[in-house]
Amino acid sequence: MEYKVEAHRIMSISLGKIYNSRVQRGGIKLHKNLLVSLVLRSARQVYLSDYYGGVCLNAQHIEAKEWELMDSEQEKLIPAVEDCSPDVGGSEATLATEEPTEAPDHSAQHHMVEVSVEGDQPCPETGDKGSEYCSPESVEGQDVSTTKDVTNEVACVTPRSSSSSHQSVKKQEEERPAECEPSATTSEITSDLHQSAKAHVCSTRKRSAEKSPANDSPLKRTKATSSNSTVPNSNNEEVEEMDTSNVSNLITIFGSSFSGLLSKDGAKPETEAGESDSGSGQICCDQMLKNLNPWSTAIVAF
Amino acid sequence: MAGVGGGNDFQWCFSQVKGAIDEDVAEADIISTVEFNYSGDLLATGDKGGRVVIFQREQESKNRPLSRGEYNVYSTFQSHEPEFDYLKSLEIEEKINKIRWLPQQNAAHFLLSTNDKTIKLWKISERDKRAEGYNLKDEDGRLRDPFRITSLRVPVLMPMDLMVEASPRRIFANAHTYHINSISINSDHETYLSADDLRINLWHLEITDRSFNIVDIKPANMEELTEVITAAECHPHQCNVFVYSSSKGTIRLCDMRAAALCDRHSKFFEEPEDPSSRSFFSEIISSISDVKFSHSGRYMMTRDYLSVKVWDLNMENRPVETYQVHEYLRSKLCSLYENDCIFDKFECCWNGSDSAIMTGSYNNFFRMFDRNTRRDITLEASRENSKPRAMLKPRKVCTGGKRKKDEISVDSLDFNKKILHTAWHPKENVIAVAATNNLYIFQDKIN
Repeated sequence: MEYKVEAHRIMSISLGKIYNSRVQRGGIKLHKNLLVSLVLRSARQVYLSDYYGGVCLNAQHIEAKEWELMDSEQEKLIPAVEDCSPDVGGSEATLATEEPTEAPDHSAQHHMVEVSVEGDQPCPETGDKGSEYCSPESVEGQDVSTTKDVTNEVACVTPRSSSSSHQSVKKQEEERPAECEPSATTSEITSDLHQSAKAHVCSTRKRSAEKSPANDSPLKRTKATSSNSTVPNSNNEEVEEMDTSNVSNLITIFGSSFSGLLSKDGAKPETEAGESDSGSGQICCDQMLKNLNPWSTAIVAF
Repeated sequence: MAGVGGGNDFQWCFSQVKGAIDEDVAEADIISTVEFNYSGDLLATGDKGGRVVIFQREQESKNRPLSRGEYNVYSTFQSHEPEFDYLKSLEIEEKINKIRWLPQQNAAHFLLSTNDKTIKLWKISERDKRAEGYNLKDEDGRLRDPFRITSLRVPVLMPMDLMVEASPRRIFANAHTYHINSISINSDHETYLSADDLRINLWHLEITDRSFNIVDIKPANMEELTEVITAAECHPHQCNVFVYSSSKGTIRLCDMRAAALCDRHSKFFEEPEDPSSRSFFSEIISSISDVKFSHSGRYMMTRDYLSVKVWDLNMENRPVETYQVHEYLRSKLCSLYENDCIFDKFECCWNGSDSAIMTGSYNNFFRMFDRNTRRDITLEASRENSKPRAMLKPRKVCTGGKRKKDEISVDSLDFNKKILHTAWHPKENVIAVAATNNLYIFQDKIN
């Protein structure tokens, strides 16, 4: 994805800046490093969360376009419904088997998207290929305005209470009834708000459906721990595909200089790294990404 | 016609330029601060090499009516030297971050200059007389043999060539862990404040071994750090009031009468962020790089990366005026982040009557805004427009589409030529603009 490349690029640039600041004359400048670490954090969240949040562009504009795309695709294909949440019961599982046919076509376009609970995260929006996003948990304090006919719909939104997200949700509500009619599916899930929050209605490939439970657990863990400090496993594989050599190099440089800091958070990275079967470079990358915020401010404390 | 009007009622003309013409700019020559004194007769500049150069305005004389008060070098001295902090293995830059003049109380002039760690009080005095005819020593200073002295000779003061001496009278050191970004002299003329990234200290001009810490925003756990102090200033009339700005785009006004430690602000100025313009770099561009009270003390002005805002001290929820300096850069933030330009700290200044404000931009452009007429003008400090009393032509940046004649497109702007420091004469329409290693002085064309 373009945005991932962009976010990755910004991350490498930011890391480079932090590194260079250590050798600059006059010592480390706290203000500049703080700003760089904020950019790094934003870029990292975009990079890791597998959606193009409204961080970079006007969210509403994008969402409007996405909905148009999605509409046209909906009309062509019968949306397949597969519940991504491992928490939701058997009814959704049967749902999935009922309409498997169109799943493969949709799946390519749909991604699991993490809905971040972090305060400054913008409302998540649909991806650039008409993908929908699913919230793995019912996030607190949110207006979950999913409608009854969630099942055959692509996106189930649990946005933050912000104006843009409200609008996007309302749009989905508008779209949904129209699209629901042709495909009669169970509406068992839908009426229960809590359940629907958990029920990601997304069409996914079977492979990615298998992947999604794995997605959920790291995502959930993400929420449980500090939002800065975990990396979903699914993204490790994608990270491998991209060229992270630059970033890894920088990170190993950092890692060697701040080994004390890494070991401070050693418990967490080790458990996470254990699950991922990526190479040491990746582990280092993950560790760095997790430890980035405390580490960068710790430079200055130094 | 003291300070009347603003950018557009007058025609700005080139007056002087100081500094080397070489294309190769030595890093040490880059001007890092510019400040007029209270009368406007003296203009001080500090550079990255730790030097201070003071210019004095010539008295207008009948002999040379056309030289309307030119500024000539008055004194040059090395204010700060590079130091090394052995404990932290850090070099301390000698770059002069700020110069602030004290109000003149006697024949000598006093100014405060600061680098990242140390503030110094300098006395600049003139000597134009010399004592001659000492009793106990020869003209060349050697002591006379006491047995040879047979009569009493009283020294007489003889005129000599004017010599301007600068001597450090106070050194205020070791009070800041982080880099000092601002100093500001209080209206009581006895105290001043100095601000670094996380703390603000209050000093007495006579006392160097101690200062009061009045603001401390350092969190107990540095990992929770979210904002730093970027600038601070004392109120021009109320000696108990000061403001400080933060990297999050907020300004806090504090009253020193409220408590010894002014961590709790009295007023909090913040404009709500426009959610539609969020980007990766929203936080960086909202960081305030300069804050200045108006001369009246009623308003204050803040500069962030793309705009200048004027705030009424009585209204905290939004500024009363916002001026876009170079909005065309908003789409270029990513490249500006890559080349570090997004971290540039632009300053801003008021004219004497508070009717106009000025700030710098790139390509050696600087912008003036007239608060009454709401008109703005972009001017350029360049050697090409450097003929004496040549009128400055307004410049325009073309943001897209067809480029008209005389316009510059955004992509041709030279981001290495930045005007970060400008100063406006306190009483007249004379401005000093620092363009890298050159100091330009412009005056309006009256008469």
